[in-house]
Amino acid sequence: MYVSAEPTTDLNKNTEWFTYPGVWSIYILFVFFSWLIVLSLLGTSPGTAWTIVHLSHFFVTYHFFHWKKGTPFADDQGIYNGLTWWEQIDNGKQLTRNRKFLTVVPLVLYLIASHTTNYLSPVLFLNTVAVVVLVVAKFPNMHKVRIFGINGDH
Amino acid sequence: MITIPYLTALTTYFSYGLLFAFGQFRDFFRKIFDWWQASNLQGYAPICLGLEDFYIRRLYLRIQDCFGRPIASAPDAWFDVVERYSNDYNKTLKRTEKKSRCLNLGSYNYLGFAAADEYCTPRVIDSLNRFSASTCSTRVDGGTTTLHKELEECVANFVGKPSAVVFGMGYVTNSAILPVVIGKGGLIISDSLNHNSIVNGARGSGATIRVFQHNTPSHLEKVLREQIAEGQPRTHRPWKKIIVVVEGIYSMEGELCKLPEIVAICKKYKAYVYLDEAHSIGAVGKTGRGVCELLGVDTADVDIMMGTFTKSFGSCGGYIAGSNELIQYLKYTCPAHLYATSISPPAAQQIISSIKVILGEDGSSRGAQKLARIRENSNFLRSELQKMGFEVLGDNDSPVMPIMLYNPAKIPAFSRECLKQNVAVVTVAFPATPLLLARARICISASHTKEDLLKALEVISQVGDLVGIKYFPAEPKKQLQPGKETIKLE
Repeated sequence: MYVSAEPTTDLNKNTEWFTYPGVWSIYILFVFFSWLIVLSLLGTSPGTAWTIVHLSHFFVTYHFFHWKKGTPFADDQGIYNGLTWWEQIDNGKQLTRNRKFLTVVPLVLYLIASHTTNYLSPVLFLNTVAVVVLVVAKFPNMHKVRIFGINGDH
Repeated sequence: MITIPYLTALTTYFSYGLLFAFGQFRDFFRKIFDWWQASNLQGYAPICLGLEDFYIRRLYLRIQDCFGRPIASAPDAWFDVVERYSNDYNKTLKRTEKKSRCLNLGSYNYLGFAAADEYCTPRVIDSLNRFSASTCSTRVDGGTTTLHKELEECVANFVGKPSAVVFGMGYVTNSAILPVVIGKGGLIISDSLNHNSIVNGARGSGATIRVFQHNTPSHLEKVLREQIAEGQPRTHRPWKKIIVVVEGIYSMEGELCKLPEIVAICKKYKAYVYLDEAHSIGAVGKTGRGVCELLGVDTADVDIMMGTFTKSFGSCGGYIAGSNELIQYLKYTCPAHLYATSISPPAAQQIISSIKVILGEDGSSRGAQKLARIRENSNFLRSELQKMGFEVLGDNDSPVMPIMLYNPAKIPAFSRECLKQNVAVVTVAFPATPLLLARARICISASHTKEDLLKALEVISQVGDLVGIKYFPAEPKKQLQPGKETIKLE
């Protein structure tokens, strides 16, 4: 089955790959397969595996989307060096389809993780903290906001 | 229009994700090791942030042997490629003394002028003896010889504009002209796949830049209407000038620009058209005059025509052709004219002689033959590759044909396997192309013979089967009636 890949108007090579077909599916597949791998390697219950997936998803996406700034190549002469990846996608336009999708995924993961662990107390707290931090970081009002100067420019 | 099989898109993302993850792990451990070791910076700041060259260190250097291969002869249809080896997994490459004779499918040698030519080379050597290799001066000081004057007239005549100005380097032509013709308060609307030189020139000019979807005149109209209605950012005053920048043939897609529609839209909204014919001048069109001739656009409608001499003319340098007033203005203001050394005289002579050959003014019909041959070669190779099931981009008549690879691992696989069978191809990956759309770009030359093309087809087909890039179903081989000759191409 073929899909057509139209070239986008996004000049930022760090983010334009996210506009091509197949990204959403591969994201969901990554998460699902990592759950299967955690389940098979660690042999825990499905709920614990979902919690592990949810928390490691939190760490990985927070680090790469909201902590690391700039682009992994020098061609663009550093114009994006003050912006995190989340602030760069779609040229800074808020509430696009990609951003809505990326906000929904941690929420869905949270629901699955808390459901499969039966809303047990210590684990529920960790999951809730993770999802709250991640979703707040994605609010349109948080665009280019650095709380207390954390992760600000030098 | 690039159509990817959905599964290939998924596997390409997965591969890049894996490469990225490995790169991050290695960087993490490298940071830990370096923390223990004393730094040898002695108080100076590091030259680049660790993050900036991540792509180069962790992805590009792994397959460095596929790029930047040194050659040891003129880039004709067959050339010598120097063999290299590495002792540290491609971080550093060392040259050997051995060379291998390979079929050249990568050089921009569209009309075959890259090697010695019977008309051009004696004249070039004459001018080398007369003027020496460099003018050692800028155009305004002492660097304008009779050759330069003749060259500018010749180019203006060839392209179909009243006058032209010539510079020593093609990249510089774009990046030094755009800041001169437009400044702050102007608007540049450029195609999303324009070359890096245009992007740099546009950024350097200080004008506002907007991008329209590649080769989509309707989107260009939408962007134009939106921008004209909004005016300059913040003040909303009308724009001082609007320039639309497009290319004749896009070097990574092999597609022709939809010039008639774009020129019509620009006329309607009173925007200037800047046409970069780097790959199309000399290679397309009935007499080689480029994409305007091919698509039937009057050259008076295109305001600034730019081109380079590196592709079809076998030389170096770039030109801008336009009205007399424009060229006169550029000669007063363009830094590439005022401060850069003028084009080398033998190179200028090569351009003049090759233009004479193309136009048939040398008394033979070699120019017309070359043009016919490159058209036939490109159409033949493109149709044969498509019949085999490869995904080949580009329009008919275009000598640039990219074969889509997609997966990052197929890039070095294709390149190395082809080199083993003595075919040298150029593979292009991120960031010159979008992340997903890595490709191998084949440039056809008029000096490729039919046997060369058949050998190329055979090798590419074999390697394509090995690497797995025949994304479309192959057409069944046609068997001609018995008694007639059957041509098998596998």
